[in-house]
Amino acid sequence: MSFSPLIENLVDGLRCLPGVGPKSAQRMALHLLERDREGATALAESLVAAMTGVRHCQQCRNFSEETLCSICRDQRRDNKTLCVVESPSDVMAVEQSGSYRGQYFVLMGHLSPIDGIGPEEIGLDQLQSRVADEDVTEVILATNPTVEGEATAYYVGELLRADGVTVTRIAHGVPLGGELEFVDGNTLAHALSGRREVGIT
Amino acid sequence: MKVVLQPALVLHTRAWRDTSLLVELFTRDHGRVAVVAKGAKRSGKRSGSGMSALLQPFTPILCSWSGRSDLKNLTACESRLAAPRLVGKALYCGLYLNEILARLLQPEDANEVLFTLYEQVLQQLAQGAELDLCLREFEYRLLIELGYGFELDVDGESGEPIQSGEHYQFHPDYGLTRAAPAGHARASRYGGDDLLRWSAGEFDLPARRCAKRLMREALRQHLGDRPLKSRELFHVH
Repeated sequence: MSFSPLIENLVDGLRCLPGVGPKSAQRMALHLLERDREGATALAESLVAAMTGVRHCQQCRNFSEETLCSICRDQRRDNKTLCVVESPSDVMAVEQSGSYRGQYFVLMGHLSPIDGIGPEEIGLDQLQSRVADEDVTEVILATNPTVEGEATAYYVGELLRADGVTVTRIAHGVPLGGELEFVDGNTLAHALSGRREVGIT
Repeated sequence: MKVVLQPALVLHTRAWRDTSLLVELFTRDHGRVAVVAKGAKRSGKRSGSGMSALLQPFTPILCSWSGRSDLKNLTACESRLAAPRLVGKALYCGLYLNEILARLLQPEDANEVLFTLYEQVLQQLAQGAELDLCLREFEYRLLIELGYGFELDVDGESGEPIQSGEHYQFHPDYGLTRAAPAGHARASRYGGDDLLRWSAGEFDLPARRCAKRLMREALRQHLGDRPLKSRELFHVH
């Protein structure tokens, strides 16, 4: 048995969501039709609005519906420091830590040759010209501590160091509240090699 | 089919669904295998935690999987050796190796010699050996292991030794063959004396350049026309 074409379309459409297979898509479609038509209409409208309205901020490449996002427009933030992250969710994570008041640059990915992502695809020419134009004094590399994240950090670091900017990399090691016993060997090795003298903060 | 505690090296990892990882492995007895590591991105002290750290490229692991389809289910995974710490250009070299292996290895086609070679070259890169020599050696032996090997000091068509002073060209079937005096473009000609010095282990600059061009041309036959992305990493510096 198959549904009518409109429902079939809806089920297919829902499958574009990550982690949604045919079965869950069907459940979602039936739920919306049976119980929540109002919510579904609102969802449809906000989807259309977001897909047509949201672009990339011209300065930091984060998602924004205006030319400059709210962080880039904020005059109280420190314009001399730039934090390079992989994705918009990383911006949220750093913002929530409440310990950073500078600007961001979002790569929207990391260098990953096997996936066909090289320096051009992550907007490094834009980063380079921004650093030069805005007199940035420090660039913090906050890419993920994965192999690709490290490769990206090294590449960006070499690129910008040639322009005379201070480039720093976020520290990595044992998580707060963690126990050494449960930390994997690679992380522990990093934590040991990045140790610091007591009393120097 | 169930496989238990198989030695493997991670070629590539990408996110899959919310908390899982899709991992390309180069295993000793089963060749290239793709597995799903369910819940590997979940944090906390539950099962799966720490797995994403082990499933980073270049990490030597022991892993168990099950499943009949092309995509297996990773059921367990533990550390086998300390992961080679590749930094900077050595890391780019590692990514380059992984890219050519991911393109050239056929799924589930075991090759223990190549597995060992790959593991060794990663260790050499991490220990600060000369990067280009490591890569050329690996490329040459990779071609042999894949069945496309050729001699560096013998003319593959006539069977005569390579002569210094002569020029040679690469032929996909014979390997090196004598180049017509003027016919071939300069870029695809290899000097006999460069080749001889290289095969005698004298790695001076012209010999290295010659070997690099030769390996690039030989590999291109099998990699196809799509350019290697990892080569772009070397351009800027």
